[in-house]
Amino acid sequence: MRPGGDARGGLRSLARALVGHRLGVSGLIVVAGVTLIAVFAPLLAPYDPYKQSLYRVLQPPSAAHWLGTDNVGRDLLSRVIYGARVSLLVGFTATLVSAVAGVLIGLVAGYLGGAVDNLVMRITDAFMCFPYLVFVLALAAALGPGLTNIIIAFCVLGWTGFARLVRAQVLLVRELPYVEAARAAGLSDLRVMFRHVLPNTLAPVIVAASITFGLAILTESGTAFLGLGVEPPTASWGKELRVGYTYLERVPLFSLAPGVMITLTVLAFNFVGDGLRDALDPRLRGDRLR
Amino acid sequence: MAAYVARRFAYALLILAVITVLVFVVVRLIPGDPIRAAMQQNVDLSDRRIIEETRARFGLDQPIPAQFAIWLRDVVAGDWGRSLQTGEPVREMFHRRLPVTLELFVGATVWAWAIGIPLGVLGALRRNSALDVSLTAVAIGGVSIPAFWEGIVLIYLLAVVTQVLPPSGFVPFTEDPWLNFKSILMPTFVIGTHSAGFLARYVRSSLLEVFGEDYVRTARAKGLGEPVVVSKHAARPAVIPVVTVIGLAWGQFMAGSFIVEYVFALPGLGRMGVDAIFAKDFPVIQVTLMATAVNVLLANLVVDVAYGLLDPRVRVR
Repeated sequence: MRPGGDARGGLRSLARALVGHRLGVSGLIVVAGVTLIAVFAPLLAPYDPYKQSLYRVLQPPSAAHWLGTDNVGRDLLSRVIYGARVSLLVGFTATLVSAVAGVLIGLVAGYLGGAVDNLVMRITDAFMCFPYLVFVLALAAALGPGLTNIIIAFCVLGWTGFARLVRAQVLLVRELPYVEAARAAGLSDLRVMFRHVLPNTLAPVIVAASITFGLAILTESGTAFLGLGVEPPTASWGKELRVGYTYLERVPLFSLAPGVMITLTVLAFNFVGDGLRDALDPRLRGDRLR
Repeated sequence: MAAYVARRFAYALLILAVITVLVFVVVRLIPGDPIRAAMQQNVDLSDRRIIEETRARFGLDQPIPAQFAIWLRDVVAGDWGRSLQTGEPVREMFHRRLPVTLELFVGATVWAWAIGIPLGVLGALRRNSALDVSLTAVAIGGVSIPAFWEGIVLIYLLAVVTQVLPPSGFVPFTEDPWLNFKSILMPTFVIGTHSAGFLARYVRSSLLEVFGEDYVRTARAKGLGEPVVVSKHAARPAVIPVVTVIGLAWGQFMAGSFIVEYVFALPGLGRMGVDAIFAKDFPVIQVTLMATAVNVLLANLVVDVAYGLLDPRVRVR
C-alpha cells in the first residue's frame, strides 16, 4: 500500500464521521452558502455596490432596497453580499499560508528535535503571548494600509499554532515502528518526513484550519472596524459596521446586517471545527452528538 | 514545589526576553518619520535644526541596536519614554489607564464564570440531549460573535431602544460607584461572553471525562445521590482544566479591551493602544504591546503554578 493511502482513508472517515454531527453539518451548509454568495456576488446583488446616490442616503428598508441604503446612498444588501468576498478571501489566504508555513516548521522542528526544536518552540511561546487582534493591528499599522498587509500580519502570528500542533504529532509518530522501518530501509530524512510522517499529522491540522479560518475573519473585521484593512470603496463587513455604527439610532440595519453575516460565517466555521474535533476524538467516537 | 515554581519563573523570563525583541522589531517597522508627524502641528518643519535636536532628544538618531539598548535600559530604570503626541510620560498614561482596564478584566471574569460554568455543567449532565446541543451552539456562538458587533447590539437594545444603561462613557468607582457599575456592565459582558463560551466547552468536556472515572462509578454504585456525586466527587478534578481556561481567557482579555474600550469610549489601555497605533506614537505602542504580552505571560505563569498546586503530578515533569 502507498504510504499516503492511509491518511486519505483517515480523512475520508473523518468526513463520514462529520456527516453525523448536527452542528458540524449545519456549519458546512452555511459555509457553502456564504461561499456561493461570494462567488456569485455580481449575479446576486440587486445593485452595483459602488454606485452612490445622494438622493437616497440612509434609507430604511424598502421593496427597492431590502436592507436600506448607506450614508452615501449605496444599496446595503449589495454591499453585504460583496462583503462576503473580502471575508472569505482573507480567511482562505490567511489560513492556507499560516497552515502551510506552520506545518512545515512544526514538521522540521519535531523531526529534527534538539536545538532547532528548542528555538522554534521558544519563538512560538513568545508569539503566542500576543492576542491576534492586538498583534495584527500593530503589525498591519507598521506594514501600511491594505488587505494584503492584514493577511501578512495574521500569518506572522498564525503559523505558530499549526507548528505546535504538528510538532506534537510528529513527536508521537516519529517513534512508531513504521517510521523506524522507513529509516532503516535507508530513505532520506526528507523522504521520511514528507512521505511517512507528514500524512499522519494532518487530521488535527484540518480541525485547526477551520477554527483559524473563523479567527482570521474575526480579526480582519475587527481591524476593519477599528479603521485598518480594505481601502475605501471596497465593501467589507467590518468597514460597513464601522460606518454604520455612527448611524445606529437612525438606521440600525446599517451596522446590524453586516454583523449578522460575520457572526454567522465565523459560527459556521467553528461548528465545522467542533464537528471535526468530535469526529477525531477517539474517546467520543461512537457517541457523538447526533 | 519551590523548584517547580522557580523553573516556571525562569522560563517566563526567557520568553519575556524574546518578546522584548519582538516588540521592538515590530514597532521599528512602522514607517514614516514619527518626529515630523508629531511636530507637524506646532513647529516650522523647514527648520532642520529643530527636527534634528528633537530626534536626538528622543534617541532616534542612533542606529537600531543602540536604540534597543537605550530603550531597554530606560524601561528597566522606569523611564518608559514620552508620548510623541502629547509629550506626557508613557508611564503616567499607563498608570492612569490601568485601573479602568483591570476593572474590565475583573468584571469580564465574573461574567465568564457566571455564564460559562453553569452552561458547561448543564451540558455535561444532559449529555447529547437537545439541550446539550443547543448549549454547545450557544457556547460556540459566544466565541464566534465579534465583540464590536455584540457591543453595538447591546448598545442598541439597552441604551437606544430601552435606555436602561448609558450607551458609553466611564465613571470612576471613586466618583460614583453605582454609575461606575452601570457604565462597565455592558463592556464586561461583551468581553466575558467570549471567554464564557470557551469555559462552557471545557467544563463540559472535563466533567464528562471525570464522569467516566472509576471512583465516580463507585460513588454512584454505593447509592450516593447525583448532586453529591457531581459536587463532591466530580467537581474537584474537573476544576483543573477550568483553571487553564480562566488563565488563557485573562490573557486574551486585552484583545477584548482594545475593541470594547473603543466601542464604549472607555479611557483604558485598549483605547490608548488603538489611538497610539493610528497616530504611530511608538513609545506608547511599545508599552501597550509589552503590557499585552506580559499580561498573557503572567496569566500563563499563574496557571502553571496553580496547576502544580492542584495536580502534584505536574511538578515532576
